[in-house]
Amino acid sequence: MIQHRSHIYGVIGEFESPEQLVHAAAKIREEGYRYYECYTPFPLEGLPEAMGMRRNMVPLITLIGGLVGGLGGFGFQYWVNVISYPMNIAGRPLNSWPAFIPVTFELTILCASLSAVFGMLALNGLPQPHHPIFNAPRFSHASSDRFFVCIQARDKKFHLEATARFLQGLSAHHVSEVQDD
Amino acid sequence: MTAQDYIAPESVGRLQQRGLGAAIVGLVACGIGYFIYGDKYAGQFFHSYLIAFMFVLGLSLGSLGLLMLQHLTSGHWGIMIRRPLESATRVLPVVAVFFLPIALFGMQHLYGGPDGWLNAPPNGEGQLSDLQKSYLKTGGPLGFYGRAVIYFLIWLALVFIFNQWSKDQDAHREDRKLRRRFKMLAGPGIILYVFVMTFAAIDWVMSLSPHWASTIYGFLFVIGQIISSMSLMIVVLIFLSRTAPMEGLVQSRHLHDLGKLLFAFVMLWAYFSFSQLLIIWSGNLPEEISFYRSRLYGGWGFVAVFVLIFHFFVPFFFLLPRDVKRSAKLLPKIAMWLIFMRLVDLFWLTRPEFTRVAVPNLMDLGAILALAGIWLAVFAWNLKAQPVLPLGDPKLEEAIAVHEH
Repeated sequence: MIQHRSHIYGVIGEFESPEQLVHAAAKIREEGYRYYECYTPFPLEGLPEAMGMRRNMVPLITLIGGLVGGLGGFGFQYWVNVISYPMNIAGRPLNSWPAFIPVTFELTILCASLSAVFGMLALNGLPQPHHPIFNAPRFSHASSDRFFVCIQARDKKFHLEATARFLQGLSAHHVSEVQDD
Repeated sequence: MTAQDYIAPESVGRLQQRGLGAAIVGLVACGIGYFIYGDKYAGQFFHSYLIAFMFVLGLSLGSLGLLMLQHLTSGHWGIMIRRPLESATRVLPVVAVFFLPIALFGMQHLYGGPDGWLNAPPNGEGQLSDLQKSYLKTGGPLGFYGRAVIYFLIWLALVFIFNQWSKDQDAHREDRKLRRRFKMLAGPGIILYVFVMTFAAIDWVMSLSPHWASTIYGFLFVIGQIISSMSLMIVVLIFLSRTAPMEGLVQSRHLHDLGKLLFAFVMLWAYFSFSQLLIIWSGNLPEEISFYRSRLYGGWGFVAVFVLIFHFFVPFFFLLPRDVKRSAKLLPKIAMWLIFMRLVDLFWLTRPEFTRVAVPNLMDLGAILALAGIWLAVFAWNLKAQPVLPLGDPKLEEAIAVHEH
C-alpha cells in the first residue's frame, strides 16, 4: 500500500450527507490541514466558511476589467471622433460625450463580465484536461449522491497512514489513496 | 411567537416625538419666512411646499411599490421590512391632506406664472399643443382636481387592501389562499402604481413647464420614490435592530439584499435620467431642449453636476463592495445620504422653473421639516399599531433563521 510519496496525490474520504462533510471540513481545518478540497454534487451552504475560505481576487479583477472597459470605450470614441477622424455631425461638438455613454456603458459591462468569467477560470487553474482526483475509484459519485473530501499530499501535515486514520476517525467511508499520474 | 413578543420598542415612540418636534420647527420656520419674504411669501412657500409634498408622497408610494414587489418575490429582505413598509403606506391619507393646500391655494403660484398652463393663451405665440391643451385645460382647475382625486383613490385602495389582507394574515396564519391573493394583486398593482404615478408626475411637476414633454418623466419619479423608500427602510431596520424584539434578528444577509437592491435602484435612476438627457440632447429641438437649458447652465449647472456625482457616482462606488452592503454601520449612512440627494434632485427638477438662483432658502427647510416631520410621526404611530414582524407570513421563520457558521 505504501508507495513513494511523490506518486500520491492525496487521501480521499467519502460521506453520505452534506452535514457530515461540512462538519468534517471544519475538523480537518482545525487539525491543521490547509491543502484539501471538497467535492459535492451541488453547492453546500456553509462549506466555504467551514473550510476557512478567504477572499478571492475575482471581485478585484472584475473591477479592473470594468474600469478598463469603460475608460477604453470612452477613450476610443474620443480618439476616433476628436483626434483621428474629426467630422462635423449636425453641428454638434466633436467631443459629444452624451452620445459616447451607451457604448462606454456596454463596454464596461462586457469587459467586467468577461474578466469575471475568465478571471475565475484562471484562478481555478482551468482549463485542465485531467486531474488526479479522477483516479479515485468511486469519484463518479461526487456528481450524483456522495460527498468527498481529499487531503492533498503536498500538505505539510500530510502523512499517508496518519491522515487516512484521521479521515476514518471522522467516520468517512471508503478512505483510500489517490494516485498521482 | 405571539403578537405580544413583537410589539414595537419604546424607541419608536421617541421617533414619533422627534418627528413632531421637527414639524414644529418647520412650521415656525415657515412662519418666520412670512416676515422675511413679505409679498413674495406665498409664491416662495408653494415652490418649497411642492418639493416637500413630492418627497413625502414618494416615501409612501415608494413603500407601496416595494411592498408589492415583496409580495411578488417573497424574499427574506422584504419580510424583515414588511411592517415598516406597510406603516409607511398607511401615511398616504395624511399625504392626501397635504395635497389640499396645493389644490386650494397653490395653483396660481405654481402653474399660473407668465409661462404657466393656467394662463397659456388659447392660440398664437405661447399656445399649448393640441394634446397638451386637451389634457391640461379640459375642465380647467376642475380637471386637475378630478384627476388628483382619481390618483389618490387608486393608491389608497391599494394601500387599504394590502394592509387589510396583512391583518387577516396575522389572524389566520395557515391561510394559503391569502398568499395567492397577495401575489395576484401585487403584479397588476405595480403596473397600476407606475401608470398612475406617471400621470400624477405630469400633472403636478411636468406641467410646471407646460410646453415641454418627456415620456420617461413618470419613471424618473417612480424610481426616485423607490430609492427614498428603500433608503428609509434600511435606516428604520437598523434603528429597530438596536433593541428588542428585533435585536439579533437582522443579519448581514438581509442588509446585503437590501444593499444590492438599493444599488440596482441607484443605477436604474441614473439610467432613466441619462436616457432622457441623451434623447433630448440628440434631438436638439427648441421645445425640448429648454428643459436642460434652464437646468444645465449657471448655478443650476453646479447643482446638476452635484446630483450626477453625489446621487450616482459616490453611492455607486460605495455600494459596489460586498462588505459595505453587509455593514450595519455604513449602509444606513449611505441610505441617509441618498434620502438627502432625493431632495436635491427634486429641488433641481422643480425650482429652475421659478428662479435662476440655485440656492435653497429658509422656506425649503421649513416646508421639508414640517411635512417630513409629520410624516415621520404618523409613520412611527402606525409602526406601533402592529407587531414589528409580519407574524402570519408563512416564510417568516425561514427569514429570521440564523444559519450556523
